[in-house]
Amino acid sequence: MSETPVVDIRNLTKRYGEFTALNDLTLQIPAGHVLGLIGPNGAGKTTAIRVLVGLLRPTSGTAMIAGSNCVTQAREIKRLVGYMPDKFGSYDNMRVHEYLDFFGAAFGIKRNPRIQRIEEVMGIAGITSMKDKYVESLSHGMAQRVGIARTLLHDPRVIILDEPANGLDPQARIEMRELILNLARMGKTVLVTSHILPELARICNTVAIMTHGTLRAVGTVEEIGQQVSQRRTLEAQLLSPDFVPTAAAIIRQSIEPDAEVVEAPSEAVVRFSTAVPESQLGELLAQLVKAGLPITQFRELQTDLEEAFMSFANAKPGTTPAAVGKPANAVKGVATRG
Amino acid sequence: MANPIIQRELIGTLRERRSVLALGLLSLVFTLLVAIRWPTEPRMALSGARSQEVFQLFMFGLLGALQLLLPVFPATSLVKERNRGTLALLLNTPLGPWKIFSGKLVASFGLAVLMLFVSLPAASACFALGGVSLGSGLGGCYLVLLLTALELCAVSLLVSSASTTADAAIRMAYGVVLGLGLITLLPYALFVGNGGPLETIADWLRCLSPVAAISSLLGGGDAASHGISSSTNVPLRFSVLSLAVTAICALWTMSRLNFTMFDRVRSAGTIVDDQSTQVRFVRRLMFIVDPGRRSRAMGPLVNPVMMKEFRCRKFGRLHWLLRLVSICAILSMVMAFVTATRTIAWDVSTIGGILVILQVALLVLLTPSLTAGLICTERESGGWVLLQMTPMPVIRILWGKLLSVFLTLALVLCATLPGYIVIVWIDPGQRPQIERVVVCLLVTAVFATLSSAAVGSLFRHTATATAAAYSMLIAVCTLPLLVWMGRGAPFGHETVERALTINPIAAALSVIRFPGFQDYDLIPAHWVVVGIASVVSLLVLFIQTVRLSRPQ
Repeated sequence: MSETPVVDIRNLTKRYGEFTALNDLTLQIPAGHVLGLIGPNGAGKTTAIRVLVGLLRPTSGTAMIAGSNCVTQAREIKRLVGYMPDKFGSYDNMRVHEYLDFFGAAFGIKRNPRIQRIEEVMGIAGITSMKDKYVESLSHGMAQRVGIARTLLHDPRVIILDEPANGLDPQARIEMRELILNLARMGKTVLVTSHILPELARICNTVAIMTHGTLRAVGTVEEIGQQVSQRRTLEAQLLSPDFVPTAAAIIRQSIEPDAEVVEAPSEAVVRFSTAVPESQLGELLAQLVKAGLPITQFRELQTDLEEAFMSFANAKPGTTPAAVGKPANAVKGVATRG
Repeated sequence: MANPIIQRELIGTLRERRSVLALGLLSLVFTLLVAIRWPTEPRMALSGARSQEVFQLFMFGLLGALQLLLPVFPATSLVKERNRGTLALLLNTPLGPWKIFSGKLVASFGLAVLMLFVSLPAASACFALGGVSLGSGLGGCYLVLLLTALELCAVSLLVSSASTTADAAIRMAYGVVLGLGLITLLPYALFVGNGGPLETIADWLRCLSPVAAISSLLGGGDAASHGISSSTNVPLRFSVLSLAVTAICALWTMSRLNFTMFDRVRSAGTIVDDQSTQVRFVRRLMFIVDPGRRSRAMGPLVNPVMMKEFRCRKFGRLHWLLRLVSICAILSMVMAFVTATRTIAWDVSTIGGILVILQVALLVLLTPSLTAGLICTERESGGWVLLQMTPMPVIRILWGKLLSVFLTLALVLCATLPGYIVIVWIDPGQRPQIERVVVCLLVTAVFATLSSAAVGSLFRHTATATAAAYSMLIAVCTLPLLVWMGRGAPFGHETVERALTINPIAAALSVIRFPGFQDYDLIPAHWVVVGIASVVSLLVLFIQTVRLSRPQ
């Protein structure tokens, strides 16, 4: 997998009068990577995407895809990018294969290769059995698949999907995730936006969080988690709820006095958040064992992407998530990631 | 207010600034209609003929305005609610079908009453001129107009309940307006004086038309009667028939206002290619061009946008086009038969004129529905962004879209030509005129297409674009005729000729020497004017499309 950035966005800004929709966005996506762009509604995700695909002219900054400028080289961009907007552009009275045939012809694919290509993309998107259905009669999930098949028709290097999982049921979301991973396996560079955060955690190499038009964090899910919190959340699983108060007392003595320690007798678990180093954590574990407590697990909980997202989303413009701190339920409500 | 729908629709609409502006503008137009025919001579006409002329022009203008402006509101009322999902919410309330329907009817009818109300000062001025009776003249005409408005509202609401999109509803509503207003007069024009049941049926049929009722009340004789007077009380029959139509439409619409409106089966998309040979054979016999066959990939020389337009248009598939052409051909053959059998009673020019009126009416009815949404439907459905993402140049997209309309119109026009062939066969001397009429029709088709598309491209919503395109085209076709009605006084020959220069109907009628138009020499000036208008429309359309396809 090459690390050369295929998508290269530098200092991209888009203003509508006084309102700044996109503020100095700088972002690179290496070839073959899946980048997830997350943020609350109005964060500027769709604006960034629309500049990338040449539908919006930026106020300042540059956006390049595979060396082509997104503003001045629109024709090349159209060949390089497969774009699926958040709104599925359907046509009435058209069957799926006719719909794909139209876009294939619009992309200038010759007749015989087009017929072959339509079969291929329908296979990739898993809609071969739907080829004779009318587009407007498809379920939302199927329509999204048709949309992905359409983006693949001209074999683009970069695929940009705006909220592909929006409005899908859990089963369809899993299938969509598989489909996006399949695209990544095919070597496509994928930029996907979503506000269904666990979706991105499972499929993206990199996650970028935006709020108020500004990029707040970029990195892997783990890196984002670490940016949000210098503290780590740990969990001691005991054999019986009877041991929970003793374990909690030992933990309180061993870590920072202001650290939050949560007792969960129903689960026979003690959760705590600390910034102590690894060596001190080892000593804590030794103390617990020495006190004769039957510990079945002692583990660190990964910072959930949703937690990170909430932290950034709650941050006011001009502040950092660290200054905002974690939301109140960040420690209590930690869930094991499935 | 007891009915919340009236509160929301009527009061809400009247609170909008544009409604006030529209009513003000309408009031101004009515005043101008009277002012342009207001007597300026220092002498007083005791016969009252002059005031009747003014009143006649005013009443027909009022009827035209009502037919042009009113159907849009009720026609989009229910279908928009259904597509937005608010109709389901309304049906979930204890309001019930009667209150929903009556609320919408009263809201639309209220607008019509307001339109008529703002015309009252101008009507009073006509009355003050003398020569117009208060009861049978002024009162009778206003009663007919009120009944027409009620009927249009009820029919348009029925159309709205049966349509799937707002623009389809507008299309159908204008079709009904045209049908009720003019087409109903045609059988009477053909069979008057024949006697027998056909004449009786035609006599009743024409009483559906408000034009016939108003014409009768204004003392202009029976519409389409060729001067043959009849004892029929047209206004009375119109009142009875319009109330009956209103009642039937109301009951029908109310019976539709339930959850079955949402209970529509999705098409299974069954393909005939996968079915047995027997089924395929039977379907081939039934359809000739089977819509259930799997369509082939687009050929290399085909404009994909044109093909897409045909495929996604409900009546754009080949089997529907064949049906449309067949209907046009049958109509034309009927006209040809009439031409061949009636040339002794009528002259060839009159029959040619009827053919021209029918064809232009067909063009006016068909073209905006095909062209107004060419751009805004794409914008509305999200297809425009997808088109923008393809490497197709704007000019190719535009050409494909326009070509799909031109080809459809060409097919329809070709199918209506046999009537002219019969005219030429009967009277070979008419050939040059017929050739010029055909050119006029082609020019009209091009103008109607480009102007409707240009007007439509300026709007974001298809329903608004369709209504605007219809209004523009109907205004171009009818307003100059109002000037023509004032020929002699106050408009001189030159003024009328100038006004008619932009009118496609008048141009074709003048070529065929239709009575009333034979004195005007409109060709080639009409072709030049309409040609320039078409080029300007094309430029507007092109600029607007380029603007929309550029990064914002």
